[in-house]
Amino acid sequence: MPRIPTSLLRQARKLDALLPPLLAPCRDLGAAQNELRWLREHVDKVASTRGHREQDTLLRNFVQQRASGKPLQYILGTEYFGPVEIRCRPGVLIPRQDTAASVTHVAQLIGRAQSLPSELRVLDLCTGTGCIPLLFDDVFTSTRRDVPLRCLGVDISEKAIELAGHNVMRVQREKKDTTTSTIELVRADVLVDPFAEQAIDVPSLKAALNMYRLPPFWDMLISNPPYVSPSAYWKTTTSSVRHFEPRIALVPPAGKGQDDTQQGDAFYQRLITVARDVEARVVLLEVADVDQAVRVARMAKDMQMFDGIEIWRDEPDQCSDQEPTEQDGFAIVGRGNGRSVLCWRERGGLWLGKTPAWESDADRLSETYRSMPRLTSKYSF
Amino acid sequence: MRTVPWVCRSCLLRISRTLTRRNVRYQSSSSTPESVPSALLARARSIAAEHRQLNEKLANGFDARAAKQLGQYGPVITALNEWQSASESMTELTSLIHDPTTDPELLALASDDLETTRSHLADASHSLISALVPVHPFAHLPCLIEIRPGAGGSEAAIFAGDLLRMYQSFCNRNNLRVTLLKYENADGTAEAGAPLSEAIIEVDSAGAYGVFRCEAGVHRVQRVPATETKGRTHTSAASVLVLPSIQDNASGEENIDDPDSDYYVDLKEVKVEIMRAGGAGGQHVNKTESAVRLTHIPTNITVSMQDSRSQPKNKEKAWQLLRSRLAQTRREKREEEAVAIRRSVVGVAKMGRGDKIRTYNWNQQRVTDHRSGMTVHGLDDVMGGGQTLDTVMESVRSWLMEKDVEALIAEEEGGTRR
Repeated sequence: MPRIPTSLLRQARKLDALLPPLLAPCRDLGAAQNELRWLREHVDKVASTRGHREQDTLLRNFVQQRASGKPLQYILGTEYFGPVEIRCRPGVLIPRQDTAASVTHVAQLIGRAQSLPSELRVLDLCTGTGCIPLLFDDVFTSTRRDVPLRCLGVDISEKAIELAGHNVMRVQREKKDTTTSTIELVRADVLVDPFAEQAIDVPSLKAALNMYRLPPFWDMLISNPPYVSPSAYWKTTTSSVRHFEPRIALVPPAGKGQDDTQQGDAFYQRLITVARDVEARVVLLEVADVDQAVRVARMAKDMQMFDGIEIWRDEPDQCSDQEPTEQDGFAIVGRGNGRSVLCWRERGGLWLGKTPAWESDADRLSETYRSMPRLTSKYSF
Repeated sequence: MRTVPWVCRSCLLRISRTLTRRNVRYQSSSSTPESVPSALLARARSIAAEHRQLNEKLANGFDARAAKQLGQYGPVITALNEWQSASESMTELTSLIHDPTTDPELLALASDDLETTRSHLADASHSLISALVPVHPFAHLPCLIEIRPGAGGSEAAIFAGDLLRMYQSFCNRNNLRVTLLKYENADGTAEAGAPLSEAIIEVDSAGAYGVFRCEAGVHRVQRVPATETKGRTHTSAASVLVLPSIQDNASGEENIDDPDSDYYVDLKEVKVEIMRAGGAGGQHVNKTESAVRLTHIPTNITVSMQDSRSQPKNKEKAWQLLRSRLAQTRREKREEEAVAIRRSVVGVAKMGRGDKIRTYNWNQQRVTDHRSGMTVHGLDDVMGGGQTLDTVMESVRSWLMEKDVEALIAEEEGGTRR
């Protein structure tokens, strides 16, 4: 990392004595000024609740923490995920803006759909702070009031489930009784195969669904699973992430006979299988870059159950000005780094506006035909 | 010794006047052209080609601007099609007549048909030309009419009052909503009847500017004034000013999806940039940057926002700012245009009797418009805002249109030469 020039430090000191330490994590003056302003606002808020004493000490303390690399979101205790304010605590991954962009976009697409089921069910695996169900709810219900939403957040971490519960309560209390959607949270291990030997402490997803009497079928599956491979963890993540954010939310657990890349992709095969089991029509999975996206898309294609697979960049709603716009037969849309993989099937294509209406009519017809033999077999003697 | 014989002064003046007098007669009668100038025809064809392209574009996806453009081209396309069918049947008929082998019975029928086809063609070319002439950008707006006395003292002021009553009754007869905004007589009071020093009326109906646009200028009156004791005829003038009345978009930001609104911004013309940390992004970094920058490409207006920690909030604020900045520039531009119009009409030098656009002569009970060259004799009906005023105004409008056609042809020819 390049050294911060002395001239910049001097310039920063001239503006504010507290700015130079903030330059270490921010690297540029504008960002440091913004962070200092937000810290000041936070101190003002805290001081007003605790009685205003030792404000300067408090601020200096915060700046020192920030200079040591502690994420600003852990110091302030919140982060904005889209327009929703989410509480953050050490031990749970801080929500990322890039995730918010793809979730917002998919929620907008679904919100525009002509026909939706009488209740839209969204399953979020590895939910962390519970930010994805909360944002999806916020965006979706702002356009669609006629369709009630049911979300389920799943995480293996006890801390995460606790924090997510706190976030859901906080956000829904702000909305009072106007909300028609329910957001539930369940602690389960996504990676465990339900048919293999069961570990005792954390149940598998299927077992958890059965145990809490939750519906076995879900319309959508969204997930931001751990996807950083061990080598990338040491090379590409910033030190602030390595030192302060939980490794369990970033790097998948090591399996037997897996190389580095395979360990990074460990979650996706399992997630696609879950998508098949819960009969999800739309699947959105976050990935690290285009290479991983193509690997995941190929996995999804090999399952031979999706009608379409697309790769989204950081800003999927912007028109693409980057090469390539297609790789291995998968369209890459948007601007920025490769960020997520979107798969759909059956009516999912219609919800997303990917298939014209007449095609899905044919779909529904074939579905009726498929259900007929069952009827006849039931009544044949 | 005198070398030049003595000449009386008034004779000398008369000689000089004939030398300097601008004896310009603009146009004595309006002609209906039977053929459309080739330059205009070429323009119509290029518009038709563009129309086809726009249609294809709209078939692929909706674009508000393209749809508006398409709507504007509609009349030209229908007029062109009509003209083409008329001219085709015309050539067919003439070839039939000139063909020596034609059956005599058929020949008689063809020559009968020729007359109606010719008149049909004339109509078609007239409508094609009028469709091609661009409508004045403010023609659809309501307007303000300002009347002030010019040269001629109190007689001019009385005549200005007559004009005001003329326009008011014209509006009443044609069901145009009219309100008197300002009335000031020569004594500085608002009492009616006394000589007028300034009056402003607003014609509130849509399209009023298109109707009254041709009335702007100096109106000359020739009569024996009521104030004259010796029975001499005076010539005085009053000036009429017609301005489009541009209302502020009061509804403003609510109709941001309406392409006519000041606050409308085409999403495709704005580049959205989100400041992001370089590198892998996603779970690898934990950035706090939330700045958003919007650039409106056609005007190069840039807005950036970084106050809030929430990126969508910054984006929303940036859009709001960009909208209001664009609206302001648009409003300023429109006001400038309005000022330019006002200057071109008011020009101080053009207030005299000489630059009249119309003469009202009481002795001969005649009204002559000097632009279209039309003379009518029902003076009382004109001053009462009756049907005769309608015909005069109509003649001026068609004269204006012909002027526009000439300008258009000149422009087209200049364009092709280049």
